[in-house]
Parts: sequence; C-alpha cells; structure tokens
Amino acid sequence: MLTKKKARTIRITVKTVILSGVAIITLLPLLWTISTSVSPDTGIETYSLIPEQFTTENYPLAWNYPTLFDSNVTLGTMFLNSLFVAAAVTILSLLFDSMAGFALARKRFLGRNVLFWAALSTLMIPFYVVVIPLYLIVLRMGLINTYTSLIIPFAASGFGVFMFRQAFFGIPLELEEAARIDGAGDVYVYSRIMLPLVKPTIATMMIFKVLWSWNMFFWPLLVIQDYSKMPINLGLTVFRGHHVTRWGLLSAGMIIATIPVIIVFLVMQKWYIQGLTAGAVKG
Amino acid sequence: MTGNKKWRDTLISYIFCAPAYTVFTLFIFVPIIWAFVLSFYDFSILTYLTPDFVGLRNYIRMVNDSYFWEALFNTFHFSAIYVPVSILAGFVFAIMLNERFPGRNFFRLAIFIPVVVSMVVASIVWLMILSPSSAGFANRIVGSFGIDPQGWLTQSNLAMNSIILVMVWKNFGFNMLIYLSGLQSIPDEFYQAAELDGASRFQRIIKITLPLVRPTTFFLLVTTTINAFQIFTPIYLMTGGGPGYSTTTIVNYLYMKGFQEFEMGYASAISVILFGILLLFTLIQKRISKSSDEAIV
Repeated sequence: MLTKKKARTIRITVKTVILSGVAIITLLPLLWTISTSVSPDTGIETYSLIPEQFTTENYPLAWNYPTLFDSNVTLGTMFLNSLFVAAAVTILSLLFDSMAGFALARKRFLGRNVLFWAALSTLMIPFYVVVIPLYLIVLRMGLINTYTSLIIPFAASGFGVFMFRQAFFGIPLELEEAARIDGAGDVYVYSRIMLPLVKPTIATMMIFKVLWSWNMFFWPLLVIQDYSKMPINLGLTVFRGHHVTRWGLLSAGMIIATIPVIIVFLVMQKWYIQGLTAGAVKG
Repeated sequence: MTGNKKWRDTLISYIFCAPAYTVFTLFIFVPIIWAFVLSFYDFSILTYLTPDFVGLRNYIRMVNDSYFWEALFNTFHFSAIYVPVSILAGFVFAIMLNERFPGRNFFRLAIFIPVVVSMVVASIVWLMILSPSSAGFANRIVGSFGIDPQGWLTQSNLAMNSIILVMVWKNFGFNMLIYLSGLQSIPDEFYQAAELDGASRFQRIIKITLPLVRPTTFFLLVTTTINAFQIFTPIYLMTGGGPGYSTTTIVNYLYMKGFQEFEMGYASAISVILFGILLLFTLIQKRISKSSDEAIV
C-alpha cells in the first residue's frame, strides 16, 4: 500500500514538472506580450519576461494612438467597434435562433422537418465556400464599410437553432399547458416560460457568439476598409503594418484586444465547456 | 375550428422562424447556389453584373494551374502533420490532467488559454517570436544550442512547419478539453479490473482508454481536418503565402485570386472544389459514425 502511494507521489511529481514546462510554452507568448506592454517603448526588440522598467504609459498611448490616415480614429475607436458588433451579433442571433428553435421544438406545422434539416444543412456549408457570392450580395446591398455588413450575415446560425431546439424539446408539456389554459399566447409562452428554462443554453450560445464575433478576421478584412468602422483585430494588423517597431504600443494594443475574451471566458467557462462537450457527444 | 387553429399555428410558427431563415436564405442558401453558378463565369468586382459565361474553362484552367496544385498540396501537407499532432497532444494531456492532483485546474486553463485568444493576436505575437533576426526569441533558443539563426517564416523549408507549430500551440488545448469530457464517461471499474489483472498504466491506456474514446478521436479527426483545410488567417498574417508559394493554402489562394487579382469566377471554381473536399469529409463522418452506432447497439 505504501509503495503504491509512493508511486503515485513520484508520478504526480513527474507530471507536474512536464506540465509546468508545457504551461510555460502555452503561456509564454502572452506573458511576454504583457511584459513588453509594460516596458518603455524604445523601438528596440526586447525579449525579457520581466520588464526592466515598469510603465503603464503604453496603454493610454495605444488606446489613443491615431492611425496613419485618419487622426480621429484610434485603437480605442476600434475596440468600441468590436464591442458594438459583438453585442449586436450576440443579441440578434440569440433572439433569432431561439425563436426558430422554439417553433421547431414546440409547434406542429407544415414544413417543420424541412426547416429543421435546412438549419442543419447550414452547418455543412463552410464560410469560405460562400464568401464570394456573399461579398457580392453585401456589395449590391450597398453595405460595404458598414457595421451592418459585420452583423446581419451572422444574425442567425444553424448551430444556434439546433441547440435551442434541443433545449426547448426537453421541457415537459405540462409547464406549457398550464399557461395555455390561463389563456397565454405563443409570444408569452416563448418569452416568459420557455426562455427562462433554457438559461444554460443561452449562456453557452452567448459565449460562443461573443468569442466568435470578437475574433472574426477574414470577413472584416473583405468588407471594411474604413478605419472608423474597423474591429480591433483587423485594426491591429493595420496598426502593425504602420508601426512595426513600436512593440510597446502594439503589445498594449494586443492586450487590450485580448482582455475582453479572457474575461468572458473566465467568467463563463463552465457554459463554454458544456457547449463544446454537447457538440462533441452528438458528433 | 381545429383546422383554423392548425393554420394559425402554422402561421405563427413561420413568423417565429422568419428572421433566422431570412438570414440563412440570403447569406447561405442563395450564396451556395450562386457560388456554383459563378464558377462557370468570368467576372470581377466591377463586372459582376455582366459576367461572361465561360463554361468549364475555370475548371480546365485549375487542372492546368500548377499554383493551384501547389496550394492543394500545401493544404494536405499542413493537415497531414497538424491534425495528428494536435490530436495526439490533446489526448496525452487529457490523460495527464484527468486524475485529481494539486494544480490540475491551473494546468488545464494554461493549456486552453491559446484557444480563446484571437488568431490575429496569436499570429502577431508568433511573428515576433519567430523573427529572423538573431535577437528573435526562437533564434536565441536555438542559438543556445549552437544553431545559426533561422528564417523561421522566410525559409521555404521551414515556413510551413513554423505555421504548423503555431497552430498546434493554438489549438491542442481544444482537443484536450474534448478528450477530457470523453474520459469522464469511462467507468472506474474498467481500470480497477485491469489493475487487478496486473495491467500497467501504459497498457491500461492502450487497451482500455484508447478504444473507449474512439468516437471522440473520430469526431476530432473529422472536425480538425475540416478546419485544417480552411486555414487562412495565420498564413495571411505570418507568411502571406510565401516564400514563393510554399505556404499558400487553398483558402489563401482563393483570397488571392478573388480579392487581390479580382478573378472572381476562377476563385468561385476554387471554392466549389473546396466545398467538394469538405463535403467528402462530412459524408465519411456521417457514414462511419452511423455504422459505429449500429455496432454498439
């Protein structure tokens, strides 16, 4: 028994050493960015993980730093752009996905199966495959360089409809019937009875949408050339192109762009993991 | 009366579905059909209202386009290494982090953090780490082993491998997380029985864990491959597809043709081929997961 305990102690020690090494590799790029962001911006490459001189001045400088062509637009503007787009995508798609999911799960109507399969089929269509026609549609609608072009195409997702349908499907009929006897209509049943019962799904979809829309890059790269409308991730690449040696500022900008996703993840990681796992189990 | 209610229900249901399905129709269903149609035309952003019908010429051109084949080869090259390595790493660390011990949650978080960080930020940071200058992080590390500074992203023999490294760093935590949830479903009794039979830890992993997480492995294999075939951002930001065409993948080539050289008809044909490849993977998944379901039942 004692030897078994000893073996375990050795195993855990070895494991901890290996994992510490791996954790250094996975965290190092970020720790180094943080370190650079609080070091004076000398324009010289620095590679120390502990800043020799500590300063916070890069953060306000980066936030207020004007881009080359439009002095009214700063990285701060782009941060707010991202915030607005992420909020709009998240709110709209949670609303639209849950509405469709509600009808598909709780109502009987002609064409329900067709609509359900249609929602599932969108999962098999990769974004890059539709991107050229999508671009032409947005161009034709006169939406190039607008927030709308970053929001509307993603205002609903097959995955969201599917997740909400599954969640609503599991709610016992009695809860709905009691309200119906009292004369409640569909809007009431959907918004007051059903939605509060699927809070876990709402939380899961919320974190997926926020992370996804905050981090999207390819689509903004195509449709946004106007600096005042740029999301921060696209803005960072432009910023880097213009000031390749201003590492302190660039690092501060990257940390500013990363803080929201880290916070959202840390606060909601339970729901995030639940959502991922649900997807994997269904395969 | 009941007939009336039925129609009312149908109408209300369609109203509830209308917003989501308007989005799907306008931004997914119409575009996917249009992508096929456009692949038979020649046009640019300026001439998209009056495209020239060219029949199969875009596809014939693709067959004879050596850069397209190179992009296809690079995508396979990337996937062939990235997919198994990131899945294996995910599996190994899931095994290590399944058992309770002090610091477990910290290590899980540390490994998962790169997944949450945006690909843009990750690419810019790695661009600095892999800087070709002798002061660059990576070069100082190999320098301490007496190796000359390397152009990690500027030498054609290294560039793709550097991209693979960055992508494994970024995403193996995702695979770990999925494996961890798969491991939860294996009953402890299985291991206890094997332990009584004198099976070593390693034997238990090979003989019990590996077969039991096969559905998870299969799920990851398909989804990771599908994602790997759509790699764009890190290559766009770190190498621009170069040096030469040595890191140009299908989507990078599609972007180059469609949005830099404005040969959108040709780019549409490339996207149709990409769709075909990805659809093949999805169908294989459906096929095999169906047959494995039957096997279990």
